[in-house]
Amino acid sequence: MKFHKRVKASATNKSAPAAVKPEKLFASAGLAGKKLTKAGDIPLLICVFVMACFGCLMIYSASSYTAEVLYNDSLYFVKKQLLGVGLGTAAMVGMCFLPYRKLMKFRYAAIIIAAILLCLVFVPVIGITNYGATRWIGFGGITLQPSEIAKYAFALFAAAYFAKNHEKVKTVKGILPVLGVGLGFCGLIIIEPNMSITMCVGLLMLSLIFLSGTNLKTFLIILIPFAVAIPVLIILEPYRLQRLSAFIDPWASPKDEGYQLIQSLYALGNGGMFGTGLFNSTQKYRFLPFAESDFILAIMGEELGFFGLAIFFLCCGFIVYRGFKIARRCRNRFGYLLAMGFTLVYGIQVVINALVVSGAIPPTGLPLPLISSGNTSLIITMASVGVLFNISRNN
Amino acid sequence: MGLAIAFIFCIILGRLFYVQVVWGKELTQKATDQWNREIPVIASRGVISDRNGEILAGNKTSYSVFLRPNAVENAEYTATVLSGLFELDPQVVLEKIKSGKVSEITLARQVSKESVEKLVPYDLPGVYYSRDNTRQYTYNEALCQVLGFTANDGTGLSGVEKYYNEILSGTNGEIMYSTDIVGIETEKSVVIYSEAKDGDELRLTIDIDIQLAVEEALKRTYVSSNAKAASCVVLNPQNFEILAMANFPSYDLNNVPRDDKDTLNAQSRNSVVCDIYEPGSTFKVVTAAANIEEYLKGNKKAFSNSYIFNSSRTRTVDGTKIKCWSDHSNGKHSNQTLAEALNNSCNPCFTDMALSLGTETFYNYLTSFGFGNVTGLDFNGEALGMLVPQSLVRDCDLARIGFGQTVAVTGIQLACAVAASVNGGYYYLPRLLKSVITSGGKAESNKPVVLNRPISSEASSILASMLEGVVSEGSGSKAYIEGYRVGGKTGTAQKYENGHVAVGKYVSSFCGFFPADNPQYLALIIVDEPEGVYYGSTVAAPVAKEIFSDIIGIKNIQPYA
Repeated sequence: MKFHKRVKASATNKSAPAAVKPEKLFASAGLAGKKLTKAGDIPLLICVFVMACFGCLMIYSASSYTAEVLYNDSLYFVKKQLLGVGLGTAAMVGMCFLPYRKLMKFRYAAIIIAAILLCLVFVPVIGITNYGATRWIGFGGITLQPSEIAKYAFALFAAAYFAKNHEKVKTVKGILPVLGVGLGFCGLIIIEPNMSITMCVGLLMLSLIFLSGTNLKTFLIILIPFAVAIPVLIILEPYRLQRLSAFIDPWASPKDEGYQLIQSLYALGNGGMFGTGLFNSTQKYRFLPFAESDFILAIMGEELGFFGLAIFFLCCGFIVYRGFKIARRCRNRFGYLLAMGFTLVYGIQVVINALVVSGAIPPTGLPLPLISSGNTSLIITMASVGVLFNISRNN
Repeated sequence: MGLAIAFIFCIILGRLFYVQVVWGKELTQKATDQWNREIPVIASRGVISDRNGEILAGNKTSYSVFLRPNAVENAEYTATVLSGLFELDPQVVLEKIKSGKVSEITLARQVSKESVEKLVPYDLPGVYYSRDNTRQYTYNEALCQVLGFTANDGTGLSGVEKYYNEILSGTNGEIMYSTDIVGIETEKSVVIYSEAKDGDELRLTIDIDIQLAVEEALKRTYVSSNAKAASCVVLNPQNFEILAMANFPSYDLNNVPRDDKDTLNAQSRNSVVCDIYEPGSTFKVVTAAANIEEYLKGNKKAFSNSYIFNSSRTRTVDGTKIKCWSDHSNGKHSNQTLAEALNNSCNPCFTDMALSLGTETFYNYLTSFGFGNVTGLDFNGEALGMLVPQSLVRDCDLARIGFGQTVAVTGIQLACAVAASVNGGYYYLPRLLKSVITSGGKAESNKPVVLNRPISSEASSILASMLEGVVSEGSGSKAYIEGYRVGGKTGTAQKYENGHVAVGKYVSSFCGFFPADNPQYLALIIVDEPEGVYYGSTVAAPVAKEIFSDIIGIKNIQPYA
């Protein structure tokens, strides 16, 4: 804790010499990189890898029946996910060895690529529409969800910008570039539409601005328009209002808006305290839509019970805790913000997904990172953990 | 930082604990409906038998075939096989499979065991079958209106089948499978079999041997007289158990004319219970009973058994002239006592009795003999009859009621009233159900219930011997059987249409019983609109004789010494 306070103090210190300190560290680290290299956070890597493998197991359990019926191949989703785990592991290991400071150079490239990908979604032929939302792009057999990449691109850009312009963060004007990119991404994502990832990026943006060391006044000036924007966004699209009412009483429309939530609750309820046992879900027999993706947590709750979910969330908490710890220990402003950003992306998604699946907030489509079927999310999440590891080594 | 993580962790776990552990049971209960599909196991419908256990309505085992279109793998092949086995149109079956609107279709009901046995080896996915019942009636037409028939799903639609449907139907069981969302059985499907509870056996008071004899005798007259309809009820006067009940025209229970509603309604109507008619002279038994009982009680207005009635053919009441059916010429119907008045069925004598007793006294007897109300027979749709309300009755009405006009009764009402007049004066609750035998073999019997005591046993035995005289020396002589003490009373009533006498249309009836000193069998025969000879004494009395002779044969009853 002592150490943490010191880092924070340095980040928010008004005096110029203290603000220079991280830059000095940056320089010295560059000169004597090997000297400062440590073992790194191996338990984090192991935990993330095990979780990704566990994800494959849960995907098998949740999807084998549906896959058999729809694709005549009970391993359809598992095979894809295993490929993702392979690529993700490779990406994670790769990022472990890539000095994270070099990422700073890619800050513009990252947001430009992300923006192009986000725009490609709207190009006919390339954009893929599913369930009324255009969220994917496809080349040949490969599909990609650009919004997953955009979250990380934004975190990288914001961290780099604040690290380079830390003296400007006290004013709204100084924060404007981050706000601009963040809101631009939000805008592109919301017209897909994908409310949950928009929320995710919005929350991430606010968190990073807060952590950048801005003062309370500036932060509040930025916060107020957001508080106004949320109800406006809900009213703008009537389907959001319907989902909201379905969330309050899903049994009012059990076959339409309420269906997804009811099925999710049935799965959780059936699991009870200790669950029905692995592979013994009843809801996976096509009652619960998106059982292998956004709502896999419900199947986990059914098979493993409340007890199993408690252990699972302990693991998630462990990942977030280690991520924050890596950030705190990092004496470099860029590393600190990058680690916080990447960890927050993971943490925010887990929390929103858990609240959606358990019916505590209105349903939105958001995967459970590392577990849900979907390779874009899996690979980039694992890659981000590789970056975290590299930060833990080179602080 | 750690604290913030712990806080959010607790919120999530708190919510999950609420949903999974606190709310879980209720949610699972709600979800059970969508997880399972049931196939009914049809309970075997209870058998209906006669008082001696002879089966009247039984079951032939059959099967129902169900289809779950979503679970069918090869629609064309399945349609071909099914249509071949159950004689269905393959195109229709294929459409049903492909429509996909309903998750389960009943493809065929009451199909034979043989055809289902042929279906088994095909092992078609999405095709299920379960046991069903087809009702089978042993005696086709006999007792058809009383037994009634069932719907395609086995529910009783008329008669005893309807009245006692709950006892007969039992409780269906079910076979429960867990299925996926479209009804395909899951690989881990747990099959739960809950047994059907079969219906109980109904043992009726009917004696099928007597019933068959009644049907034969009644049908002969129904055909030979070319009547519009004919009905008969035979009951045991000692407890009012119905021994036989027949109506013509009738229908075949094993081949119910379901497509022709009018014909079915006409033929399936238990007229003797559900329809009313003007009884005519048979009703004089009731008037005589009231007079005798009142005389014995010391009522000065009642006539003694030796009283000589005025021999005039007519009586003038309220300015209207009431005539006897006979012209009273050549000394006919002169100087009659009550017994002779019954023998001759002389209308003016009964007018005298009714008027002399007065409205209040006479109506007391009508009510205690069950007129103006249902008898309470265990049968749906019993008619009330028509009795002018006591407050509205005029003397001219009372005068006519005395000999059975201006009053309408059901057959069962009249039979019960006559039975109570001659059995010692006990009015019982008439019954069709003798006992219920549960599947465990336990029997629950119906005990006789005395509803009323209209007259004393002394009055009853006097009346019975007078009615014996009607058969041995009076108008009921065509019912006389040598060596047996048969009593009875004839009746011939003109029919009314739109308030006017319908020319040439009569209801001929006879109500007889034997042995007169201790009645065991009572029969009421009603022939509606016979052609040619129309007197009850000629048309209906011989039917009673035939029925009683048959009963004597069936029960091997010895003539009196």
